[in-house]
Amino acid sequence: MYDIRLEGVTKKFGDFTAVNNINFTIPKSSVTVLLGPSGCGKTTLMRMIAGLESPTNGKIFFGEHEVTNVPTRRRNIGMVFQYPVIYRGTSVRKNLELPLLSEKLSKAEIDKRVDEVAEILDLKDVLKRFVEELDNGTRQKIAVAREVARQPRIILFDEPITNIDLTSKLELKRSMKELFGRLKQTIVYVTHDQTEAMTLADQIALMQDGVITQSDSPKEIYDKPNSQFAGWFLGNPGMNFVPPEFIKVSGTKITSPLFSQTIDLGSKAASADTFGVRAEGISVSGTEEKGAVQARVTRKALGAGGQYLLDLAVGSLLIKARVSHSVGRSVQNSVWTTIASENITFFDKSGTAL
Amino acid sequence: MADLALDVKGLSKSYGNKVVLDNLSFTAATNDFSVICGKPGNGKSVLVRTIMGLETVDAGSIIVRGKDVAKVSAGERNIGYVPQSFALYPHYSVQENIEYPLTLSKATAATKKEAVERVAELLRIKDLLGKKPEQLSGGQKQRVAIARGLAKTTDVYVLDDPLVGLDFKLRERLIDDLRKTQEELKVSFVYLTSDPLEALSLARTVMILAQGKIVQQDSLDVVYDLPNSIASMNSLGFPEANILPGELSGTTFTSVLGSTKVKMDSNPTNVVAGIRPEGFFIGSGAGSIDAKVGLLENLGSEFAVYFNIKNSDLVTVISRTDNESLAKLKSKNVSINYKPDALVIFDAQSGKRVGQGVSHV
Repeated sequence: MYDIRLEGVTKKFGDFTAVNNINFTIPKSSVTVLLGPSGCGKTTLMRMIAGLESPTNGKIFFGEHEVTNVPTRRRNIGMVFQYPVIYRGTSVRKNLELPLLSEKLSKAEIDKRVDEVAEILDLKDVLKRFVEELDNGTRQKIAVAREVARQPRIILFDEPITNIDLTSKLELKRSMKELFGRLKQTIVYVTHDQTEAMTLADQIALMQDGVITQSDSPKEIYDKPNSQFAGWFLGNPGMNFVPPEFIKVSGTKITSPLFSQTIDLGSKAASADTFGVRAEGISVSGTEEKGAVQARVTRKALGAGGQYLLDLAVGSLLIKARVSHSVGRSVQNSVWTTIASENITFFDKSGTAL
Repeated sequence: MADLALDVKGLSKSYGNKVVLDNLSFTAATNDFSVICGKPGNGKSVLVRTIMGLETVDAGSIIVRGKDVAKVSAGERNIGYVPQSFALYPHYSVQENIEYPLTLSKATAATKKEAVERVAELLRIKDLLGKKPEQLSGGQKQRVAIARGLAKTTDVYVLDDPLVGLDFKLRERLIDDLRKTQEELKVSFVYLTSDPLEALSLARTVMILAQGKIVQQDSLDVVYDLPNSIASMNSLGFPEANILPGELSGTTFTSVLGSTKVKMDSNPTNVVAGIRPEGFFIGSGAGSIDAKVGLLENLGSEFAVYFNIKNSDLVTVISRTDNESLAKLKSKNVSINYKPDALVIFDAQSGKRVGQGVSHV
């Protein structure tokens, strides 16, 4: 299998730089999700990997082969788009077989590949059905299955779940995860949906303004964002950011009215400008505790799994804390908060993590 | 009653033989954020249209500020409206778009100016007033559309699923904006949605809409902790609550989770049980069941863990900081347990709550 190497890849549309000098290797035989807000350049980058756009500058390699100027049909890639591409007026089996027939494979080999992928994607029961009879979620699975059955070395997914109805979304995520676990191919998957990215990715390449700002496993990128942008973009809600007026630096030591401990940041302390803490990184108690900081509860809301999201005011600062159902249900107007040092990420003036 | 902004009583509406609103009643208090929450296909759109006066009712009253407006024309009801689709007039500036409903109602220039300033400040779109819709991002357009709905100075606003289709980060921000707006205006917001996470994040008061009726109305905490029906448990909660068929024999309920001792308020012939995702935990011991682990959906701060027990698909939620459980979930087969009191028993016919779990058997 191939890795995908991007060397100084840039794409400009007139004055607008969609992708800005990206140097990056997408590892082989794993799932890399390009994640970012709309306009970050993720789709343009994927389209260049596919050969649907040419870079303004830079080179693209599949393994050792440079493909910068190789047309799409000769790149040996599979592609799945937002809207399922299916052949109407024919059965699901035919839909999966068609590209294989043109590759002059034996009947036995074609059957083997179709049955295999139908098994993984749970399409066995619908192989004889006409595609018109099936819902959009199943049609998208057919589009996925057809690309997988061709066994290209690289498969590109461009927001394949975005336009699928809510009820089929979960089933598609489930079957994609199952599929990705079995495939040996290099997968590149574009989405703006953090849950999809965190669920499916081996590594997330987070993009902003045409560059990849961080690439890491879902856990790493969530736990250790390298920028305020990553801290904000991942998480629902994103990280709390505490502004400079709530931070006091003396030598290598940092204190704040938000926590009672003193944090030694060594030589990095001088650059500390703000800090971030995730909502679940703040411990909340309804009763006074030694060393805890008192906060006022301004709002309560519920979230996934019955956890409460509390809006807390510490002086003039507003932060959000996620707490268990029982704690959230019982707390009144006043709470006491602590923030463990390992849950605190300091950032410099530019928003880069220290 | 003076503290009711909206008092809807016995509202009914049918199309031919199809009953869409079925003797529906609810109240919305002044200075409250009320969310009407129900799955698609339960009459939400028709309810909005009847309240706004865009659709006549067959029976019932819609009392706004103490006066029945059920037969009053839309323009005279004095209810603010943020519709679901946010078509802005492309040839008008943002300011003109926001002013438009006021222009229609022949407001003075001074009134319009004051209204625009108020909503532009609240929704942080002051810098955009001179722009045309095509120059705005999706989230900015949505804020302008919400501002247009709120520009009308009144004390009751109906918001019809205004965040549908927006991405995570925009919704996160607009949810805060909407809550802040309601608090600052001290008016009544009646917000309709089929998205349980939105309802959970926004509501102080919740009404559950199911099959053309409001089946439960109470504070968010109460509806969540004490759902009075299957519809109520199912409509409010994320991931959706698990519904389990089973058999009741005396005070023992038996399902794929095994046998649970229950406390019953009445004894219907057929029952089903509901259990919220957080009613489960990973662990062996008394009452534990062998389960096959399916998808782990990574929600950031927690995982929605889908699992299967004897061909029943179920879901639980595990915090990202619960390393012990997450380690166990690496194996495809785990022992899952549940809190007996998380099990709620419903009458299978009426859907009403009739009992609750007490202990493992």
